[in-house]
Parts: sequence; C-alpha cells; structure tokens
Amino acid sequence: MSEFSNSLSVISSALQAQSQRLRHLSENIANVDTPGYRRKTIAFHTVMHGSETPGMVETGRVRLDQSDLLQIYDPTHPMADEAGNYEGSNVNLMIELSDAREAQRSYEANLRMFEQTRQMGSSLFDLLRR
Amino acid sequence: MFDKIEVFQMAHAMARHAGSRHAVISQNLANADTPGYKAQDIADFQTHLSRNMAQQGGDFQIRATRAAHLNIGQGPGTPAVFDREDAVADPNGNTVSLETEMVHGVNAKRQHDRAMAIYQSSMTILRNSIGRR
Repeated sequence: MSEFSNSLSVISSALQAQSQRLRHLSENIANVDTPGYRRKTIAFHTVMHGSETPGMVETGRVRLDQSDLLQIYDPTHPMADEAGNYEGSNVNLMIELSDAREAQRSYEANLRMFEQTRQMGSSLFDLLRR
Repeated sequence: MFDKIEVFQMAHAMARHAGSRHAVISQNLANADTPGYKAQDIADFQTHLSRNMAQQGGDFQIRATRAAHLNIGQGPGTPAVFDREDAVADPNGNTVSLETEMVHGVNAKRQHDRAMAIYQSSMTILRNSIGRR
C-alpha cells in the first residue's frame, strides 16, 4: 500500500514538472515578437535521496537560451542601429510547439498512470468491504 | 486446516509484486523527460517466484515462529530493481519509452486485478465452507 502512495507522489511531482515546463513554453510563445527576449528553458532531474520519495522529478533553475538573437532589418524601428537592424527574440515557434506537444503527451501518460494506481489501491480496499 | 492456505499466500505475493512493479513503472513514466534517466524494471512474477522457490528448497512457504500461528507471511520479498537493458536511448541519454511503459503498466494492473479476483473468490469458497453466505 505504501508503494501506491509513493508512486502517487512521484507521479504528481512529474505532473507538476510538466505543467511548469508548459508554463515556460507559453511564456516563450507569448514573447515571440518581444525585441531582445531570450527563450527560457528548465531542466528536469531525478531526486535520488533526501527527505523526498526517491524517483521524484525536480525542476532545476530557469535558464535563458544564449543563442543569437534574430536580426531584423527595419530602419524605421526606434531600436534600430546604424545599419537599420534591431534584435528580435530567439524563440523558434516550431521548437516551442513540438516541445509543448511532448509535454502534453507525458502529462497525459502520467495522468493515466495516476488513475491506474488509484484503481489498484481501491480494489485493494474492496477486499475489506463485505 | 487454516495453517497453510497456499492460494492466499500466492495471491498476496502476486498483488505485492504487481504493486512494486507498478511503482517502478510509474517512476519511469514520471522521469520520461529527465535527461540521462535509465528506465528501470523488476523481474516478472514467474521468474521471481521460481527463483524464490529454488532458494527456499522448492516449497513456497513462510517460516512461522510457532506451529499454531497462521501462516500468512510476506511471501517472497521485493525483487531487486535493475536498469532495463534492451532500451534505446534518446539523444539526451533517457531510455524511457512511453509506449513500452504504458504496456507494462497495464500488465501490472491486470496482474493485480487477477490476484484480487483470486483472493476474493477463494474467500467466498472459504466462507461458503463454513456455512456463511
């Protein structure tokens, strides 16, 4: 029985991590046209020991993607330099959308697992009934 | 009569095994996007049981401190967790495949359901035999 509650907490940590990832992805997508915006990324890692249940997913610090910003040619833009370019964001919509799809897929799989664990636990309780 | 009802022990061990396997699999799924995570697994019930029987001298039985004790032991202990070897790694070193884990998860769930069904029906037989409905 304790194994079920352990796996429920592991699964909920994963759900939390995936939804945090999705939040940063939507921030990136929302800021795709913001000049000078760098896309945010977060890293996942596994909790190995400590007070938490081992195997739980933890999100690391938010990091900014240091790749080059997009140079956009528009001499009339207030932020344009001498050559007429200004810096856009380094968000690539294609990457963000496929990443979001992957996060959604993992989220759903975890949700399915949560439901399964819950069912197994309740079938165990059914033995006590009657 | 009640000191050795093997079907209950077997159902107990099977449900326990299904529970531990399901826990390992849900840990895999939770870490499906963690870089460098290696998918883990435990031996299936049949392998685990036959290994245990060989160790205990061919009999699936738990030692009791007194002969009068009901023999409802732990069954075989929790099997060891190992890294799955046949898994293919993603570019980030993660070897979890969502599809494989879902299939294993459903299998563990079915094994658990089966154990519960066996337990329940044996319980019914036992109840009937002592004259209750």
